[in-house]
Amino acid sequence: MTDDAAFWHRVQFAFTITYHYLFPQLTMGLAWFLVAWKWLHLRTGEAGYGQAARLWARIFGINFAVGVVTGIPMEFQFGTNWAGFSKYAGGVIGQTLAMEGMFAFFLESAFIGALVWGDKRLGPRSHFLAALGVAMGSWMSGYFILVTNAFMQSPKGHAFAANGSLRIASLRDFLLNPWALIEFCHNQAAALVTGSFAIAAVGAFYVLRGADRKQGLLFLKWGTAVGLFASLLVAYPTGDAQAKMVAVHQPAALAAMEGRFQSGPMADITLIGQPNVQKRQLDNPIRLPGMLSYLAFGTFHSDVPGLGAFPEDTWPTNIELLYYAFHVMAGLGTLFILLMAVATLQWLRGRLESSRRLLWVLMLAFPFPFIANTAGWMTAEMGRQPWLIYGLFRTRQGYSEAVSSGEALFTLIGFAGLYFVLGLVYLFLVGREVIHGAGKSGAPGAGEVGPV
Amino acid sequence: MAELWYAILCLMITLFVVLDGWDIGAGALHFVIAKNQDERRIVIAAIGPLWIWHEVWLVGTAGVLFMAFPQAMAVAFPAYYLALFLVLWTLLLRGISLEFRGHIPSDLWRAFWDFVFVVSNVVLALVLGAAIGNVIRGMPLKPDTPFSLPLFTDFGTRGAVGLLDWYTLSVAVFTLVCLCAHGASYLALRADGEVYRRAKILTKWLWPCTAFLLLLVSLGTYHVRPELFTAMAGRPTAWTMLVLLTGAWAAIFTALRSGAETRMFFGGCALIAGLLGAAAASLFPVMLYSTINPAYSITAYNGSSSASSLRAAAFWWPVAFALALLYVSFIAKYYSGRVQTSQDTHHPY
Repeated sequence: MTDDAAFWHRVQFAFTITYHYLFPQLTMGLAWFLVAWKWLHLRTGEAGYGQAARLWARIFGINFAVGVVTGIPMEFQFGTNWAGFSKYAGGVIGQTLAMEGMFAFFLESAFIGALVWGDKRLGPRSHFLAALGVAMGSWMSGYFILVTNAFMQSPKGHAFAANGSLRIASLRDFLLNPWALIEFCHNQAAALVTGSFAIAAVGAFYVLRGADRKQGLLFLKWGTAVGLFASLLVAYPTGDAQAKMVAVHQPAALAAMEGRFQSGPMADITLIGQPNVQKRQLDNPIRLPGMLSYLAFGTFHSDVPGLGAFPEDTWPTNIELLYYAFHVMAGLGTLFILLMAVATLQWLRGRLESSRRLLWVLMLAFPFPFIANTAGWMTAEMGRQPWLIYGLFRTRQGYSEAVSSGEALFTLIGFAGLYFVLGLVYLFLVGREVIHGAGKSGAPGAGEVGPV
Repeated sequence: MAELWYAILCLMITLFVVLDGWDIGAGALHFVIAKNQDERRIVIAAIGPLWIWHEVWLVGTAGVLFMAFPQAMAVAFPAYYLALFLVLWTLLLRGISLEFRGHIPSDLWRAFWDFVFVVSNVVLALVLGAAIGNVIRGMPLKPDTPFSLPLFTDFGTRGAVGLLDWYTLSVAVFTLVCLCAHGASYLALRADGEVYRRAKILTKWLWPCTAFLLLLVSLGTYHVRPELFTAMAGRPTAWTMLVLLTGAWAAIFTALRSGAETRMFFGGCALIAGLLGAAAASLFPVMLYSTINPAYSITAYNGSSSASSLRAAAFWWPVAFALALLYVSFIAKYYSGRVQTSQDTHHPY
């Protein structure tokens, strides 16, 4: 395996994209909070909203910068590591990658500097517009990337060129791929979950420590309310629609996600169990009978094919990991709804501030949406295997033949080292901003001496 | 259609080099031009607000290359695998140093990131120049044989070449000096105080150096690819670029004499645009030139996507281009004139 170049190309892309996406999901999740607070500050003039926006804009700036610098390698890796794929599909997926740069990145990048550092210079109205521009840019960028991914999951709008590569047949069909629309709603709702959990966690921290209590309560209120709403959206209707889409377009992936080897009606959903691919069974399963049939096709009696119904060379290549990723995502998603429902209920009863145990849970819960988002993407991408473009082009055909396994491993190690240090500095800077608090003017350490 | 996308690609690269070029140049001169934290803050504040927008032209260029010329990208990127990762990691360090330095008001913290910032900008300018040199010189391209280029071989420009040879190195050094001159012109326009004074002095040295090195590099180019100069004679686009170049030099040298900062700055922009434009016009239609046999070269015609993909993109690209300029014109007015660091919220930039 170690001298298999294809394997290291996959690991490098998986590692760099997973690491990268930790940042944009928070960017996209926080962006609309900033817009809302800037708007309320503009309308009501209440200082609390202004302070909230300023603290989160600073955190947003650090987060955005890491998102930018880890994102640029992603685009280049299509050419460096996946030349076969680029040659085959560049005419189609190059469209959305170029559109992302041209439509979304120019919008975000024009306003990000002004959003983070320019509120004095721009004045409240233009500064609000800057926040709006960044928010729209970041969500637009998400859409273009999801269209790209949707094409790989369920290709639409393409035709074959004379040399066998793909070309655009209908830009409309390609851009409005139903998979993309549903995946976008599901993914953006999940990004909002990440953002609201982060805000709720900082709120809980401020209330628990006793300083910045007023800001803490504001963050708790917004974080839990939006968190409940977004967690519900992730499950229904977006997650439900996504699962139905997988059932229709990638039945083998659905079977592997549920560890289902035999076909038949009244398909169960598995709550606990470990897939045993060698014996073609689930070990120690705990199941809900009929639920999978119901969730995938709307009736308990629908026939849900198991992996046995498909030739083995079209099975996802890592069934165990796919199964665990899917169950981690779905399990965490359910827990998020419960947690945020309890928190919102306590808020409505006026008891959230005094429920210290719940505040502890909220404070420590913020990493889990990152895990759930990552697990969700692992489900999507491993479910797609062994295809790079579902049904058209296999992953094995896509990598750069000119690049050896050693070179790929070398750059992978380079990324790992660089990203480790980057992560440390990121946590240090964000942690510093959070501990410094929202109420005081200026950045941490700046004191009251004004510009340095 | 392929011609149009070749032109769009060249336009985007040119915009990247002109716009981000002044950030890179000013960044490379950071230690020379700004001696203490107050002065360094002026340099950072002159670059800070829009550097990401400038860098997006590179990201956009990569996207357009991917969409319009996937064959060219699929050959060139693996061939320059390790060099490209050097660029990506350097871009990462440059971005991080610019964005992180302001967050902690400590001299040690800032001195560290300033150092990272200077080194990454110098490396970027050199690698960018070497890349342009490689495009002009060509690479050992054979049909259907993926290859990867060594860092250097015998420093010759024929046959089995490496990434670096005497020619590509000379282009790299020229690019560094030219971008430094461009960056100094930018700071002469935007900074005040000591930074302004030093920027003015540096332009007086750097632009003549650029002119001298350009002469050497042009002689080198004539030695490596003489046919480019004969091709130029038959191409009106190349003539306009040469006119632009002449005008640019006239603007720069009269401005050096009279001290007109705006004219010098735009002269520098026109110079870079003219150089890249002249190179692009004389290279056309070849994108990746084969040093083994020119017939193996990848051109805008045999390296492009099919016509339907190019046509589809021709509908949306102009809209996106216009919007990109609209956004920046909205924000740039807040940052025009000489840098006033007291205007920025909190402390950084």
